[in-house]
Amino acid sequence: MASKGGAAPSTYTHAPTNKTRRPPFFPDSDVDWLRSDGRGFHQCRPAFFRTGAVNSAAGSAYAESGKTKVIVSVFGPKESKKAMMYSDTGRLNCNVSYTTFATTVRGHGSENKEFSTMLHKALEGAIVLESFPKTTVDVFALVLESGGSDLPVVISCASLALADAGITMYDLVAGASVSCLGRNLIIDPISEEESFQDGSLMITCMPCHYEVTQLTITGKWSTANLNEAMQLCLDACSKLAKIMRSCLKEAASASKD
Amino acid sequence: MVGLSLGEKHFIQGGIDQNLRSDGRKRDTYRPISVETGVIPQANGSARIRIGATEVIASVKAELGRPNALQPDKGKVSIFVDCSPVAEPMFEGRGGEELSTELSVALQRCLLGGKSGAGAGIDLSSLIVAEGKICWDLYIDGLVISSDGNLLDALGAAIKAALSNTGIPRVQVAAGASGDEQPEVDISDEEFMQFDTSGVPVIVTLTKVGRHYIVDATSEEESQMSSALSVSINRKGHICGLSKRGSAGLDPSVISDMISVARHISEQLINKLDSEISAAEADEDEM
Repeated sequence: MASKGGAAPSTYTHAPTNKTRRPPFFPDSDVDWLRSDGRGFHQCRPAFFRTGAVNSAAGSAYAESGKTKVIVSVFGPKESKKAMMYSDTGRLNCNVSYTTFATTVRGHGSENKEFSTMLHKALEGAIVLESFPKTTVDVFALVLESGGSDLPVVISCASLALADAGITMYDLVAGASVSCLGRNLIIDPISEEESFQDGSLMITCMPCHYEVTQLTITGKWSTANLNEAMQLCLDACSKLAKIMRSCLKEAASASKD
Repeated sequence: MVGLSLGEKHFIQGGIDQNLRSDGRKRDTYRPISVETGVIPQANGSARIRIGATEVIASVKAELGRPNALQPDKGKVSIFVDCSPVAEPMFEGRGGEELSTELSVALQRCLLGGKSGAGAGIDLSSLIVAEGKICWDLYIDGLVISSDGNLLDALGAAIKAALSNTGIPRVQVAAGASGDEQPEVDISDEEFMQFDTSGVPVIVTLTKVGRHYIVDATSEEESQMSSALSVSINRKGHICGLSKRGSAGLDPSVISDMISVARHISEQLINKLDSEISAAEADEDEM
């Protein structure tokens, strides 16, 4: 983590709370408003990945996307608990937790109880579970700072950590989300934008297979919007996967030297 | 958990390929649906839905509360699902917890819409009594009594029926309370407001077995699925929520295809449910 240098101080800056009360958007108008971080509607935040964040884990990864900062470690495969029944495929155990200081209001992150199951569902289709029968792989994710689009970042980071741990997978899993604000679709929303959204769509996919492993939609969507949003997400996923791949290659060539 | 022999598995998969399922249905036919409303007298609204051997109860309770400071013009709705060990022994203790949360989250996603309230099946602003001070809190509880697959669709239908059965007492707010004071209220015992349920979506789950997808899968069929998409669609044909289950990945073009099939099926389901609900309410009035 030390390698990210200049980006470090932003970890503990608090977003001013008065911002959340001011509606910064004009959802019903066609006026071109600007996103508060100056991005275009279809532009993702810069993503940063690094493997090997935790020494004691079999594999681990750190991911940063704008203000969202996530650390994931993978343990195992190790023997399944005695109480569990025999299984000729491996088991995957996922857990997502937030630090108490991850959100502007302390301890607000625990609202996202379903993230653990969502992470599990997004990953299990990509892992070759047959390669480690009778054993369990633990995936623990910790959101250090929540800056919006947390779950897609967690999922991408977790698949990178699994690859770092040497777990056989069909493909890397990359995630992206799109928010619908009035008539506009914005990709990779920050927390502020998420709190005003009319609808959201999240896709995690295996870009090389062109297969969607997990998809959730909330809010009201028309077919045209839905198809556009899905295409936006899929494009973003394949770009993200390239960054993840190059990060893995970098780590592999560094360990050779 | 359903334990099936290899022969039974082949029988189910083969039947689905031939468009003739083990209970004689086609791929896109539902089992008979029966609706009964007003089953829980102490709740503000309730309904029991039976789809084949799957049986669920939904109850709606309304309590007066304070609106959230961030949304002073909206009431609150919470949805909980309980999987009783009555339905299956594996639901005992914490065994049903994972399924319960999965179902609750899926229902919340389908019925409550986006953060800003757009696309919500339940109009939260109709729950307000005095802005910023008093609102109705709706507690929607689902209970699984008997489980034979397709729980999410059944729960969605039961909640829709329970909401249309819900009467919320009319509240008189005493004038004169000013500033931060909590105004006094008078809850009427006789006058009830009906809930507008025309916007409540239905949930259609398409279960993919082999190359085909089926509606209203039984638990045997669900054990053979590779993945399933639950789409919630309202009367206007808008998608209000979607969640995916199952481990296998899906091609994006298959997803679009499944969504359009679900939209087509939802039209029939909404009409069928509406007629069943009004028949059930007519029955209740007679008694």
